[in-house]
Amino acid sequence: MKNCEDIRGRLTLYLDNELQGTERATVEAHLAECESCAAVLARELNFLNAVRECGPLHKASPELSEKVVAILNEGRVSPAPLAAGKTRSRRSLWIAAVAAGLLVLLLPALVWRLVRRAETPANGKPSKFALVAAETHLRHMRGQLPLEMESARPQDISAWFANKVDFSVKLPNYQESSGQEKLYTLEGARLVSLENDYAAYVAYRMKDRPISLVITSDSVARPSAGEVIASRGLRFHYNAIDGLKVITWSDRGLTYALVSDLDERGQQSCIVCHEGTKDRDFIEPLKPH
Amino acid sequence: MDSDAKFGQAALEHIDALFGYAMTLTRDTSEAEDLVQETYVRAARAANRPDGDGNLKGWLFVIMRNAWLNQVRHKHSGPLFVELEANQSTPNAQDNPHVVYLRKLEREQVRQAIESLPDAYREIVLLRDIEGFTYQEIATVLDCPAGTVMSRLGRARGRLRKLLSAWQTKAHARARVSAG
Repeated sequence: MKNCEDIRGRLTLYLDNELQGTERATVEAHLAECESCAAVLARELNFLNAVRECGPLHKASPELSEKVVAILNEGRVSPAPLAAGKTRSRRSLWIAAVAAGLLVLLLPALVWRLVRRAETPANGKPSKFALVAAETHLRHMRGQLPLEMESARPQDISAWFANKVDFSVKLPNYQESSGQEKLYTLEGARLVSLENDYAAYVAYRMKDRPISLVITSDSVARPSAGEVIASRGLRFHYNAIDGLKVITWSDRGLTYALVSDLDERGQQSCIVCHEGTKDRDFIEPLKPH
Repeated sequence: MDSDAKFGQAALEHIDALFGYAMTLTRDTSEAEDLVQETYVRAARAANRPDGDGNLKGWLFVIMRNAWLNQVRHKHSGPLFVELEANQSTPNAQDNPHVVYLRKLEREQVRQAIESLPDAYREIVLLRDIEGFTYQEIATVLDCPAGTVMSRLGRARGRLRKLLSAWQTKAHARARVSAG
C-alpha cells in the first residue's frame, strides 16, 4: 500500500479527474482503508465544492448577446475599437528587408532540402527553438493555435506584426514578382509564446500541406544541433522532429525555424522556383552530391 | 442547418463563460464586452474552426486570450500577468481546521476571494474550477506546459484557502463578540 504522504500528494489530481487507470485505482484503494487520508480528501472536496459552486462569476448582458448574435449571423459587425497601441521599438527596417529577401530565396529550397534530409540521423538533440517550432506547427494543425489574422498578402502580415514584436517582419512576394507558378500560399499569422516573449508565427501552405515559419530575435533563440549545412555564409540546422522536417538558422539578428511535413513532391518546388533564376548559385551548394 | 449556422449556435452557448473570462482578464465590464465581441469576430472569420463541439469552448478561450494579449501589448511594454514565485509559501489545507467550514461561507464571499486573487491565480482558478477545463486544456489556453498549470493551480488554491480561512476566523470572532 502506498504511504499516506504519497497519496495526499495526489489527492488534488484525483479530485481534478487528472488520474486515470491504475493511478486512480491506487488512490481509491488507499482511501478505502485509511480514515486519515479520507478525512483530508473530504476537507479538500469541501473546499473545491465551495469554489466551484460559486460560479458563474459573471453573465453576459442581453445587449452583448445581441451584438454577438449579429456577429455570428452576419460576420459584418465590428467590435468597438480596441485600445490604441503604443509603438514599440523596432529594429532597423533594412535588417528586416535583407532577412525577408533571404527568406524569399530560401523558402522553396529549404522545403526541398528538409524533405531530402528528413531521414538522415540528427546530430545531437534539436534546439529548444526547433522543438517549440515543431510543437507550434502541430498545435496549429490541430486547430489549437488559430491564426490571429488571415491574409495571403505579405504586406498585410508585415503590417500586422508592426507593433507586436520587437523586430520587423517583412515577408517576400517572390512568386508574384518572379512570374513563377504559385507553389505555396501565405495563409496568415499569429503571435506565439517563446521564452517569456513573443515570436512571430507565419503560416504557409504548399500542395495542401501546411508550412510554418517561426521568427524571433537571435537574442532569444539560436539554432544548434542537427545536421549543419552551410551555404552563402549561413548555417542551416536540419532536424527531424516527430515526423516533421525542421530547419533553423540565424541571420542578421533574427532566428528562423521552418517546419513542414511535405513529402517528396516538395522537391519540385526547388526546381520549379529556382530553375533558370539567379538563385542557382545558392541552390547548388545545398544539393546532395 | 448549414455549417455556419451550426457553428454560430454552438459558439453562442459559451458567451457567459467567455464574458466571465473576459472580466477576469480585464476587470472592466466595457473592456470585457469589447473583448467578447472581438473574440467572436475572430472566431467567425477563422478558417480552421474545430470540427466538433468538444474543443470549441477551449478554442474560443484561446482566441480570447490571444486577443487580450494583443491589447495588453499595446497598452504596456509586456504582458500584465507575471509568473508568480514558485516557492511562495502556501497554507496546507489539512492543517487548518477552518477550511472544514468553508462550505458554510456565502457564495459571495467566495467570489470576492476569487476576485481578490492576483491576476494569474484568478485566471487559473476560473479556468479549472469555474469553467471545468482539464489541465491539458488550460495549458493550451495559457500556452504553457501542463506542469506549470498544476503548480500554479496549487499555489492559487493555497492562496484562496488562506483568504477564506482568514475571513472565516474574523467572522467567528465577530460572532463571539456579538454573543458575549
